[in-house]
Amino acid sequence: MDLNIKRKSTKTVITGSLLETYPHDLQMYKIPPTEEIPLQEFETLALERLTLLRSLATATTLKGFRPFSDEWKEYIQSDLRNQGLKYYAKLCEYTKCGTDADLHARRKDHIAHFILRLAYCRNEELRRWFVARELELFKMRFMTMNSEAVDTFFRLNNLSYTNISEEEKLEIISCLRESTPYQNIDNMKFYKVKFYEVLDLVRSRKVFLNGGYAFIPHRDFVSVLSAQFRTHLRQSLAVACHHLGEIEQDERLVCLLKGLHQSYTGADYADTKAVVPIESLDSLSAKSYPLCMRQLHEQLRLSHHLRHGGRLQYGLFLKGIGVTLEDSLRFWREEFTKIMDLDKFEKQYSYNVRYNYGKEGSKRNYSPFSCLRIINETVGPGDCHGCPYRHCDVSNLKNKLQGYGVDPQAISEIVDTSKKGHFQVACSKYFDTIHNVDLGLGINHPNQFFEESQKLLKGEIKVEIKKENKINLKKEALDDLDFDDDL
Amino acid sequence: MVGHYDENLLSDMLPLYYTKYFPQNIFCRWLCCGCSPQPLSNRELSFTLADDVYLRYLSISDQKELQTLFQKKCPHKLDIGAVYNTKPSIARHDSVVLARELVFDIDLTDYDEVRTCCKEAKVCEKCWKFMVIACEIIDKALKDDFGFQNILWVFSGRRGIHCWVSDYEARVLDSPGRGAVADYLCLIMGGDNQNKKVNLGNDNLHTSIRRALDIIDKYFEEILQDQEFFSTNDGLKAFLKQIPDDNLRSQTEKKLEKLPESSLERWRNFISLYETYCRENGFAVRKIKYLVEEIKVQYCYPRLDVNVTKGFNHLLKSPFSIHPKTGKVSVVFKPTNARKMKLSDVPTIQSLLDDSTADSTEHQNNMKTSVKIFQEVVFSLEKAEAMRRKADANMSLEF
Ligand code: SF4
Ligand SMILES: [Zn+2]
Repeated sequence: MDLNIKRKSTKTVITGSLLETYPHDLQMYKIPPTEEIPLQEFETLALERLTLLRSLATATTLKGFRPFSDEWKEYIQSDLRNQGLKYYAKLCEYTKCGTDADLHARRKDHIAHFILRLAYCRNEELRRWFVARELELFKMRFMTMNSEAVDTFFRLNNLSYTNISEEEKLEIISCLRESTPYQNIDNMKFYKVKFYEVLDLVRSRKVFLNGGYAFIPHRDFVSVLSAQFRTHLRQSLAVACHHLGEIEQDERLVCLLKGLHQSYTGADYADTKAVVPIESLDSLSAKSYPLCMRQLHEQLRLSHHLRHGGRLQYGLFLKGIGVTLEDSLRFWREEFTKIMDLDKFEKQYSYNVRYNYGKEGSKRNYSPFSCLRIINETVGPGDCHGCPYRHCDVSNLKNKLQGYGVDPQAISEIVDTSKKGHFQVACSKYFDTIHNVDLGLGINHPNQFFEESQKLLKGEIKVEIKKENKINLKKEALDDLDFDDDL
Repeated sequence: MVGHYDENLLSDMLPLYYTKYFPQNIFCRWLCCGCSPQPLSNRELSFTLADDVYLRYLSISDQKELQTLFQKKCPHKLDIGAVYNTKPSIARHDSVVLARELVFDIDLTDYDEVRTCCKEAKVCEKCWKFMVIACEIIDKALKDDFGFQNILWVFSGRRGIHCWVSDYEARVLDSPGRGAVADYLCLIMGGDNQNKKVNLGNDNLHTSIRRALDIIDKYFEEILQDQEFFSTNDGLKAFLKQIPDDNLRSQTEKKLEKLPESSLERWRNFISLYETYCRENGFAVRKIKYLVEEIKVQYCYPRLDVNVTKGFNHLLKSPFSIHPKTGKVSVVFKPTNARKMKLSDVPTIQSLLDDSTADSTEHQNNMKTSVKIFQEVVFSLEKAEAMRRKADANMSLEF
């Protein structure tokens, strides 16, 4: 990466060359900026892009809007305008372009993207977050372009594809009809690409596959491009990470970049100072655990065993709340040896416990899983990890909450929210209910849930206990939502 | 026959097995192709020794080294890992995984919520049919949909099967790619907290799902009778939970409870109830448009351990390794023959080495057949590799 941070004089850039450098609204960010950038501008650009990416994250995870839906886009648009980032708002809507301001916006977009690469490349968790957000941004922008703009974009990026012949199409038309999720297949041109170019379509079975090829209509090219975009970005981040050392010779930059990445991820709970004795886990699980951990804890007590996914998810959580390695070993050992002999435990399971604490294998200090990670876990037969709001049947979730004595109104509210796919919001409601407060926290980490709960219980935060009339108000709002509950 | 096998004798028998029966030459050639263009020595092997001592990051550069390693360590179990950019070793944390066969692991324990004949480690001819279906469906999808050709099927030694795809494209597929293939093939989702694990939506059925259902249909009634899924109280309850529509569920419950216990009869009655219900309630059926298909999938569709497929460097038991608990050889088999394969036909280390056992001759023959099938797969893989290298060379000449 070739970011020359300005210490000498500023070159003035002429608009004419800007149009050459930035011929299109949307870019693949293949070539890093070479111009010199004043430190001040560097910082502003970085922070503005951060705001943009955060706005995307909020829309998806906290507000629970379906990505790329209209409400999702509207939220982002208005958020950007509120934050004074009109130029991003415009870029996201696609400008025909012409004005100077538009060209400068493209330049900012370009430079800012590369600055954030530096801040986000340093570990896997950060990289994943960054790639996910940039990808959303890219897709959103691609999808709002009109067909003329799309054609130009293809031409500029040397992307040429030819469609399959009518005969070939006729041969497979019935397969195309049943496997492509669009109407009017007959009028569409189809293109043949390798299956690994459209993994998102493959994953969700939204494309016809034959002999290693995927057959896609024109509108699905967004999948091809975003896959390329993702691969390219991942590789670039890996390269950038290798070269961080060179960049970090500049003190001021180090502060700035490090500050940036702390300002958005929050704590990762890999190193905790608290010490929690395992004897208190039973009571803590009822008082301060989020549902995903409570369910694992109870399952472990009940069957004296957890499968791999559960051991990992719960084991790392325990480390995060402050259970020491020795205690952890004791805890798992005591349960597991109720159904197996000590020897087997030591051979097959204690390795994993030490591994979680970075004492085995690659000796990395693993961080407890965030909600995002847990919600996206693969949960198979026999498993009970994952996020209950996502991975439980409605009836099971209800029973569970009833079993915990959660009040029926709260239950239907929680169940309803999770049915709509707003898992973390449901989790936050559960938090409020068991603590009898009305905080509406944004939950994005089970360890955060735990810490907030502990703070509350220890009286570090003073809150007013939920008022009676508030409950009544909510009840009215709930009544009309309640009928199609029991599926 | 199985009674003859004694785990304690394993250490005495293995050296002879590795020398006399393990197809070392073909095995090395298979691994070699799977490594190319990296050298064989960049491939990780791992051994489990007596007393569960676990050795990782082993490697060999030719057959001779394999034989020496076998004799020196006498592994009770042999696993195969990924291909690295260097010779694998514990000390090197900077080594990167470059390639790995695309693998699938299907294990009967994941069928415990549906199978009624056995639980956990147990397996019988009845539940083996689940594996037959799984093999047929996955094999077809890999060939027809993904265009893979070099596919090896291996019995895991106890209660499951493994599949190794060695095509170059599969070997270098990255983790998102592996994840996507796994998700594409995975229709049963959810853990112990979800009763209904299959949801096929209400659009058209994807070509691959329709094809899988055709395969399931060939076996469904037979398995229904073997397993008697719905004849017990619990079985019936679990079945009813698959029906999301309240009215249809209570109608079904009333009707089926009165019927005799035969699952087949109960199933047929359910189908006719369902069909009438759909005809009479046009508006409500969208939600249950594919209910019958969903239930068939839930009971019979392959249950993949997707983590094994998604992980780039998950170790997987090698073909022709011995299963230490059963003594059975992890034989290679033809997917087209899976239906005819019987568990009792699988050679054990005991039956191979001791000609006084009853099945000895037959097992000797079965072992030979299995090695031959392995050979055929490796030959065609070698051909494919040669062609790929030639094509690569031409490509670079053109530029
Ligand atoms: S939202 Fe997060 S903390 Fe809450 S249950 Fe789900 S994974 Fe756990
Ligand atoms: Zn059985």
